[in-house]
Amino acid sequence: MSKKKCWIIIFITIALNVVMVQWTVESYLGREYEKVLIFSAIGVVGAFIAFFAYLNWRKREYTQSSKD
Amino acid sequence: MTNNNKKGRNRKESPSDMVNLMGNVEQKDDLTYNRRAFLKSAAGVSIALGLSTVPFSVRAMMGMAEDENERVEIAHMDQLPKGESLTFNYPTDNDPALLVHTMSGELVAYNSACTHLMCPVFYKKETDTLLCPCHKGYFDVNNGHPLEGPPQRELPMIHLEVDANTIYAVGRSYRHE
Repeated sequence: MSKKKCWIIIFITIALNVVMVQWTVESYLGREYEKVLIFSAIGVVGAFIAFFAYLNWRKREYTQSSKD
Repeated sequence: MTNNNKKGRNRKESPSDMVNLMGNVEQKDDLTYNRRAFLKSAAGVSIALGLSTVPFSVRAMMGMAEDENERVEIAHMDQLPKGESLTFNYPTDNDPALLVHTMSGELVAYNSACTHLMCPVFYKKETDTLLCPCHKGYFDVNNGHPLEGPPQRELPMIHLEVDANTIYAVGRSYRHE
């Protein structure tokens, strides 16, 4: 995965997680607890994807710099 | 500072010290506020947003175990002529509610905390609507859905039963038609 793809993935996860926070709060206030769990699970998965994309970006970024 | 004294990520491509002369640039800021720091912050924001939903799901799992469909006596029919309303609490003492005998003769009840900022909602007989006076939010008295103003969600509907001239609250639905 290239560094550019990591950037794109991280920004997509930000957009996804903003929507998931909004939907989670809305479902929670509406006592739709099954939906809360679904949206929250998607949010957590998004967070993990962002984290692993960041690790991947960091590995490539700093490996390349040290070679130079 | 020569390349040899720098960490790998801060070394320049050229080994020449002349290239590394940066007297006219705030080097500390240059190393702190850069493309890499921006991506790190972006990743942190994404992770924080995703994990911030977890407390809601924990509370939701706790709330799923609660059973609130208790039958509670509210009032007698003769206490509530057409166009009148009275307040009560349901399902707990911390949940204020409003029982309305509408102008068309129907009995409806809702939790009366406005879904905008929790101000109490009142029945407005003249217009046959529910009004939140704090920010002028209006709700339809027939189904509790917002008509005007800032509220976006409907009021929780309390299900009623009339038995031997007595009105009972028997359950509640938060999202409803």
